[in-house]
This record gives sequence, structure tokens and C-alpha cells, in this order.
Amino acid sequence: MKKKDLRFYLRIYFKILAQDLKSKMSYRADFIISTIGMIFTNIAGFVSFWIIFRNFPSINGWSYYEMLFLYGFSLIALTPVQCLFDNNWNLRIAVYSGDFIKYCFRPVNLFFYYQSEVFDIKGLGQLAFGIGTLAYSWHHLGLGFDILMLLKLIVFLISASVVMVALQNAAAATCFWIQNSFYVLDLVTRFKDYAKYPITIFSPVFRFIFTFIMPIAFIAYYPSLVILRPDNIEILSLFSPVIAVVFFWISYKIWMHGALRYNGTGS
Amino acid sequence: MSAIIEIKDLTKEFKVLERREGLKGSLQDLFSRNYKTVRAVDNVSMTIEQGEIVGYLGPNGAGKSTTIKMMTGVLEPTSGTILTNGIVPYKNRSKNAQEIGVVFGQRTQLWWALPLVESFKILKDIYQINDKDYNDMLDLYRSLVDIDPLLHKTVRQMSLGQRTLSDILAAFLHNPKIVFLDEPTIGLDVAMKANIRKLIHALNKEKNTTVILTTHDMGDVDALCQRTVIIDKGKMLYDNDIEQLKKFFGSYRILKVRPTGELETQAESIKNELEGFSVRIMDDWISILVDEEKAGVMDVLGRLQRSYKIKDMQLEEISTEEVIKKIYEGGVN
Ligand SMILES: Nc1ncnc2c1ncn2[C@@H]1O[C@H](COP(=O)(O)OP(=O)(O)OP(=O)(O)O)[C@@H](O)[C@H]1O
Ligand SMILES: [Mg+2]
Repeated sequence: MKKKDLRFYLRIYFKILAQDLKSKMSYRADFIISTIGMIFTNIAGFVSFWIIFRNFPSINGWSYYEMLFLYGFSLIALTPVQCLFDNNWNLRIAVYSGDFIKYCFRPVNLFFYYQSEVFDIKGLGQLAFGIGTLAYSWHHLGLGFDILMLLKLIVFLISASVVMVALQNAAAATCFWIQNSFYVLDLVTRFKDYAKYPITIFSPVFRFIFTFIMPIAFIAYYPSLVILRPDNIEILSLFSPVIAVVFFWISYKIWMHGALRYNGTGS
Repeated sequence: MSAIIEIKDLTKEFKVLERREGLKGSLQDLFSRNYKTVRAVDNVSMTIEQGEIVGYLGPNGAGKSTTIKMMTGVLEPTSGTILTNGIVPYKNRSKNAQEIGVVFGQRTQLWWALPLVESFKILKDIYQINDKDYNDMLDLYRSLVDIDPLLHKTVRQMSLGQRTLSDILAAFLHNPKIVFLDEPTIGLDVAMKANIRKLIHALNKEKNTTVILTTHDMGDVDALCQRTVIIDKGKMLYDNDIEQLKKFFGSYRILKVRPTGELETQAESIKNELEGFSVRIMDDWISILVDEEKAGVMDVLGRLQRSYKIKDMQLEEISTEEVIKKIYEGGVN
């Protein structure tokens, strides 16, 4: 028996992914409609953003293009949670109905196996929009471009995504303890909409909440400061990769703890 | 022969919330909660050898599924010990999973949207089955059941029977040492049941796989199990050879008669006449359970003929189902 290393897991992941995509595309009408839906959702999001902020030259010292940068940054950062961890939304039903037990019989990591089942292709459109918006604002801000910046961008985008994934895992895992956990997950998802605003526009109370309790400020604000305002970066910005890893680890532990003590239902 | 599963004094308790009734009750529940412990499995011990097919039987709610969940490592026992393949399942879930296959009645474990053959290929990777073993297994499957029409169907397009068959094939795919089948024939027609029994029997013979089977269908037991373990309300009632069990009840026979007159009233009066016998109406017959050690069937028939006019009669050996029913009712210890 070979060791179950990263290669083993990637191989399984991509095999499931490839099959899943193949089967989704075979339902052509479904595929086309959801693609169109996704494009319109993104356009609508962008238009409402534009209507609100176009008339203000700056908000709390943030220019229109900087706001746009944050918006694009958050769209990209929210893609992984949408694409790769969408099965968290089904967790509550699986746990309640007892179907969750079927994930417990395989000789692979339970968290991995559960999440690998669903890949939500709709998130890819969001990624495209995000990259477009980011590039556009980047250009207007005249930020310049070199390898170091690209590297920084990638590292901080990944940390931002990981924070969101962690939040969602923890929220979804509440279903192992409480029955109406939908509201927790829904709440976290609603709050993530605030991620695209600079945290300085909120009152101190919310600033504290969004930084330490429900750390959505790490989804766009703190990480993008590193690119946008390299001259006076907040200390929290630099730490965001570490914070992301810690949050993810905690959320993973919570999730697994709930899953391993799962009692199932009678059958 | 060596023991593959060893269970000792196994107990599982569930804590369930006792909900109070009505709105007032719900409000009270918010502040003080009453938990009740349900003992689903109560001090069960057994040893199972490699290659056995064991029928794990008992009425609804007896604790069969709960025991199986503990053997697969999904549930942690409240007390007692289990060893499967020499390891503690709950503590080494992943390692245990490599050596077992599980089918839970109507809950498929296959990927809903994928054709069966693609599910198999993913399982091949997950269990790290090499090409040769994989192909040999598929060839064996082909020789036993007609799988080719199934392979390219997606699981969601399958009928219940086809899906169950697929799940069983998937459970045996990595040639596990033990396969747990929890009510595998539930809801299937006669032909599919026969198919599945044939398959399980052949795989057990061919690969010496240990099979633990729960079912409410005595046909499954008669066709597959040399040994039965019976539990009720979590407690073990019986663990022995099925033949042994029948031998124990060997002195019992069922006498079925059809007297003239109205069936119900006649049954009542026969019941009064034959005190100490179990008398029932079954499909237009009055059936009487006779213990030949106490009274001969012919004597009983003779007694009845004195008071009733018998139109028709039948004599039956006791079936497995009757035997088990007798045990549920507290016949043996
Ligand atoms: N997760 C759970 N929480 C609380 N009680 C449970 C749970 N699972 C099972 N039970 C209880 O444990 C007892 C045994 O259930 P189990 O599912 O093991 O029965 P079973 O023998 O499989 O019955 P059946 O033939 O109906 O499938 C039942 O009283 C059931 O209500
Ligand atoms: Mg059951």
C-alpha cells in the first residue's frame, strides 16, 4: 500500500472533478442556463456597485478605483469557497437525514472526501469578472507591475480565500450540534458581502467584529492593503497569511470533531 | 480458521432529548433539558471467523444497524471492545475502511451523477487496487451477473434493484476481508433477490470474504447463512448454527386444517379445545403449532375430527421464519 500523500489526493480529486464536469456538460440546457445566470448575477453585482460609488470621488480617503480594486480582489478571493467547498451547503441535510454516514466508510480523509463530491463550476465566471475588475482598477491606479508584486498578490489572494473557506467550514460544521444551522451559514454568507468595503468606513464596534470575531476584513481589506498602500501597511495585513492558516486549521478541527462524533440516525 | 471479528461485552447508549409536549413544553425545553438514555446495544459478545456468512437478525429497532456501525468504526462503543482484523475500528477508521465493504440498504454510496464504471475507477484509486486485481474482479462480476448494461448507466438512472446490485459490487471491489450488508434485499423483487443472493454466495466462496448480513427476509437467511445471531432490544438472544436451531424446533410441526363453518368462530372454539397450543388463522387456514414430544400430530387431528368436520388439511415442517418468530417471542435461551 502506497502512502496517501498529496499526489494521491490530487489524483482522486481531479478524477472526480473531470467526471463531474463531463456529466454536467452532458446536460446541455442546464449548463447553458446556469452559465447565463452566472453572467447576469455578476453584471448585476457590478452595476449596483457602480451606481453607488461612481458619484463619490472618495469615501473615507478611498478613491473609486481603490474601491473597485477591493471589489475585484474579493471576487477572486471568494472563488475557491464557491467552487471547491460548495458541498458545505448540503452538509446540514446530509447530517439530518443520516446520509452523511456514507462518507464515513472510505479510507481517505473525511473532510476531503466530503468536499470532493461537488465542484461548482459557476464560481469560475466570478473569477473571470474578478480578474477583469482587478486588472482594470490596477491599470487606472497606475500601480506598476513586477514579479514581486505578482507574487505578493498571489500569496495574499490565497490567504484571503483561505479565511473565507475557514469561516464557511466553521459555520457549516455547526450542523453537527444544532438543528437550525442554516441560519449560521446564511449569516456568514451575508456578512461576507461586507468584505468588499474598506473596513475604515465602519464604526469601531464593527471594525473589531470584522477583524477578530468574524474576520471578513481578511478577505479583501487587509490583504489588498499590501498592494494598494505599500508605504503604510497595517501589521494585521502582513500577518494575514498566518492568520489564514490558523483560522483554517481551527475550522478544520471543528468540522472533523463534529464529523467524527456524528451518531447518525437509526436505520 | 482465525477470528476476524471479536466483540466483547459491547454496549451502545444514545442520549436522546425527551421533548415535552406543546408550546409550553418547548419553552421548558429551552431552559431545562431532560435526557433519556436509550440502550441500543446491550452487552453483546461474539466471535466471527474469516469466511463465515452470519445472519444478524432481530425485529425493528433491535440494534442491528447500531452494532454494524460500531464494527465499521463509525460509532464509538459506550463500553466493551471490538477488534476487526486485529484493530480497533473506531480508533483506526481509515485503516479499517481499507479492509471492509459496507452497503446500507437504500442509501447508495456511489456518485449519483456518474456512470457506474467511473465510480468503480474512482474507487480503484481510493483503495489503491492494482490493474490486474481490478480487471480480474470485473471479470468475476461478469461471470456472475450481467453487469455490462449497468456499467454505462449513471446511478441516478438506475432502478432500486440495479442500484443495490451496483452498491454490492462496489463494496466487494477492493476484495475486502469483511463485507457488511444492512438489509441489502429490502424492496427488491423476487428475481433481483435471487440474483443478489447468488452473487453474495459466489463472492463469499470465491474470495473467502466474511459477510455480516442483516435482513428481515428469511429467504436470505435460508439461502446464505450457516450461522445466525439474533438480538432483540439490544440483547443477544441466540447465536448458533441455523441447522442447530431448526433441530431444536425439529419436534415442532404445523398442522393446518380447514373445517366447515365460519373460520373465525371455528378457530376460537379450537383454541379453547386445544389448550396450550398456539392456534392462528393464516391465509384461510387454521394453523396449529404442534410439539410432537408432547402430542402426536395424528392425535391432535383425531381429537379435532371428533368435534369438527374437516374439509381439508396440510402438514408443514416449521420454517426458519417460524423458528425466528418463536425466538423473538421468547422461545429459546
Ligand atoms: N442516532 C441515534 N440517536 C438516538 N437513538 C438511536 C440512534 N440510532 C439508533 N437509535 C435507537 O437505537 C435503537 C436501535 O436502532 P437500530 O437502527 O440499530 O435498529 P435495527 O435493529 O437496525 O432496526 P431495523 O430492523 O428497524 O433497521 C432504536 O431504538 C433506535 O431508536
Ligand atoms: Mg437497521
